[in-house]
Amino acid sequence: MVNVYFLAILFSLIFLLAVVDLVRRRRLKEQYSLLWLLVGFLMLFLSLSRVNLEMLAAWLDIKYAPAMLFLFGLIFSFILILHLTVVISKMSERVVILTQEFAILREQLQEKQKVEKE
Amino acid sequence: MNYTRKKILIIIPAYQEEASIARVVNKIRTTLPFVDIVVINDGSTDRTSANAKATGVAVVDLPFNLGIGGAMQTGYRYAERNGYEIAVQIDADGQHNPGDLTKLLAVMEQEDMDMVIGSRFVESSGYRPSLSRAAGITLLSWLVSMVTGKTITDTTSGYRAVNRKVIKLFARDYPTDYPEVEVLILLHKHRLRVKEVPVIMNYRETGASSITPLKSIYYMIKVILSVLIMVTRTRSQVASDG
Repeated sequence: MVNVYFLAILFSLIFLLAVVDLVRRRRLKEQYSLLWLLVGFLMLFLSLSRVNLEMLAAWLDIKYAPAMLFLFGLIFSFILILHLTVVISKMSERVVILTQEFAILREQLQEKQKVEKE
Repeated sequence: MNYTRKKILIIIPAYQEEASIARVVNKIRTTLPFVDIVVINDGSTDRTSANAKATGVAVVDLPFNLGIGGAMQTGYRYAERNGYEIAVQIDADGQHNPGDLTKLLAVMEQEDMDMVIGSRFVESSGYRPSLSRAAGITLLSWLVSMVTGKTITDTTSGYRAVNRKVIKLFARDYPTDYPEVEVLILLHKHRLRVKEVPVIMNYRETGASSITPLKSIYYMIKVILSVLIMVTRTRSQVASDG
């Protein structure tokens, strides 16, 4: 009974558990985990019922039903990667501002210490 | 002239300029005794910071290299924080003559400009760039005039003086990587007045230009993209960018 549907179910379950565990150990922020949990459940739903998947595949004119799993996976990956680069852009902007402020404050501190010494 | 009574800051962004920094600083101090100077050391690993500090001017040391945009913005933040009315950026390699600054400041004051650019091309200032460089500069200056409706010949000049209004703007919002061209569009979007003044630039005394052939292709593409995207921003987006 080992086929792609069984593997997909197994993978979805392990994936969901892994996400929950990462949040528990504070390695993943809750806000990002929501997105992953949603995807995990969607994958699980699609893999659980062969009929659902095949109906959806037929509706989208996909000849090989499991290919839809890959399609969804791929689309989601692209969206998530785009989202991550948005997050990185925001973070690097913050790093720049913090670096500038830090350097200016350090200069002020050194000036003050120099004046006090004299 | 009135400007000598104003609080003026010269910002010198410096990356690996140990050979020229002290000379550039001292030249500015002897030529323009009425200005303050801050050197922004952009994470240099050589003796740039030590050599600059030895001259006695303020030195802001960035813990790592932010690139010219990030370094310049540090200078504008410093100017904003310390209440300067005019900020001037001068390159650390000695290609800008501090003596020309009086010309820039006079134009700024008399014609009520928000930014004055020391330009190599207005009238004859004795500068002859290489062919590919000239083509790039022509393209950028065409792009800028298409967008702003004004002619700026030397869009990449780093010799610029700005007033308090622009200092505040730059402290909040300054382009990264290759800022010179984008700044012109930014000022246009904020309806600020810009003018070019002819100056004579020296050939680089030490070090090498930061722009290599491969980088200059990236430079052109990145600048054109940034400018085109900037054009699509609405006024409120421009204002809220900081």
